[in-house]
Amino acid sequence: MRADLAETIAVREEILGKLRGVLIERMRLRRAPAEIDADAPLFGAGFALDSLDAVELIVALDTLFGVVLEDNGLLRQQMRTLNTVVDLVLAYRRGHVGRR
Amino acid sequence: MSVADDLAAIRATTTLRAGDELACVRIDGAGAHELLDRVSPRQLFVRSGQMLHTLFLDDAAKPVADVYLCCDDDAYHVVAEGMRAASVLAYLADHAHGLSVELVDLSLSHAFLCLDGPYAWELLAEISSPDVIGLPYLGFFHDPRFTCFRGGKTGEYGYDLLVAREQLAAERARILDLGRRFELREIGQEAHALAMLESAFFDVRRAPRPGLTPVELQLQWRLNAGRDYPGSAAITARRASPRGRTVLAAAASELVVDAAIELDGSVVGTVLVSGQSHTRGDWLALALLEPGLAHAGLHGFTCGGIALRTISSPAINNRSLYVDPQRHSWATRESNAFPPLVRPDWS
Repeated sequence: MRADLAETIAVREEILGKLRGVLIERMRLRRAPAEIDADAPLFGAGFALDSLDAVELIVALDTLFGVVLEDNGLLRQQMRTLNTVVDLVLAYRRGHVGRR
Repeated sequence: MSVADDLAAIRATTTLRAGDELACVRIDGAGAHELLDRVSPRQLFVRSGQMLHTLFLDDAAKPVADVYLCCDDDAYHVVAEGMRAASVLAYLADHAHGLSVELVDLSLSHAFLCLDGPYAWELLAEISSPDVIGLPYLGFFHDPRFTCFRGGKTGEYGYDLLVAREQLAAERARILDLGRRFELREIGQEAHALAMLESAFFDVRRAPRPGLTPVELQLQWRLNAGRDYPGSAAITARRASPRGRTVLAAAASELVVDAAIELDGSVVGTVLVSGQSHTRGDWLALALLEPGLAHAGLHGFTCGGIALRTISSPAINNRSLYVDPQRHSWATRESNAFPPLVRPDWS
């Protein structure tokens, strides 16, 4: 596998692992990490997270990744699945998303 | 009257569609809950008026139906896609030994009319009552004219109305009449399937293949570990060695279903479902990739010589995420600012 691809996968897996930990430990999601699919809906039907969980996730983004965001419309679209949250973290690191 | 126009209507206005792909079975009797508890891969924790979204699996854990299990006091409705009602009856009967249940094929006497779109709730309020605005996602209620199930698989507000067949034509005409001021558009299955793909809803009629289970299809949220249900042994075994994972992929040109996906000259996956995303202006695929490669945000794949990249799901930014019945309406839509339907590409 190409080195750039392997690095991208490693970075995404690292972020996904931390986010799965947040769901299990802070939001009391009773699932094994391997059962938490990266494209499963976080809110509504999927894992049925609520608005309090959303706040918890925002706090976790700050403490774990240093991502501090205002709700400027980005949050709602970027918190739909774990994969979209990973995209948000990566975009923040790359400077695509502004800092508060 | 193109598919692109139909899809645009799903994303911006309200659409009406015959839900001929849906079957409905009612389960009465003291054993109704236990019967569904036997076949549901997900814990059957649902109160009256609520729906549980799960799957029916065969013994190899291949999804055979995408189902809503709807608790209606002491009875249940099963709204299923992927199985005809007769097959749902047979599937349930196979697991009903020792239970006191009566299975009723409502599809013989009823049919579905489906409303989808960011303003579908407003039309439904006209059709039924303003009270429906408070109907939560995965809730249902009985109107004198129909039973309304709030689900939807387009990522927009979605309501499936179960109507008695003798009232179907009149009810459809009434909805079309009331829908005129909402620019209601009648659409077909093709646009609905594209909307499902864009919003990454599982398409039980197109995605399953022999040997693929919810583990590969990223549908584990519809299961609970530690339960005994049809296919549960296969799920346990597959978790240890999945045969790949699905991920959404995007390309500039047409992607062919069942075509091989390559990376650096090696076949690493296949296209399960494909369609043109008129909303995004590209082609989307549900791709099955080797487990180590099934991540969003990867470039470098090819499919029939076409460059392919994986993306996070859903592929679009649904308008219904932002349309709030307490603050917005069809009448004020022009003055409401909403984010674009396509998320920025940061990859």
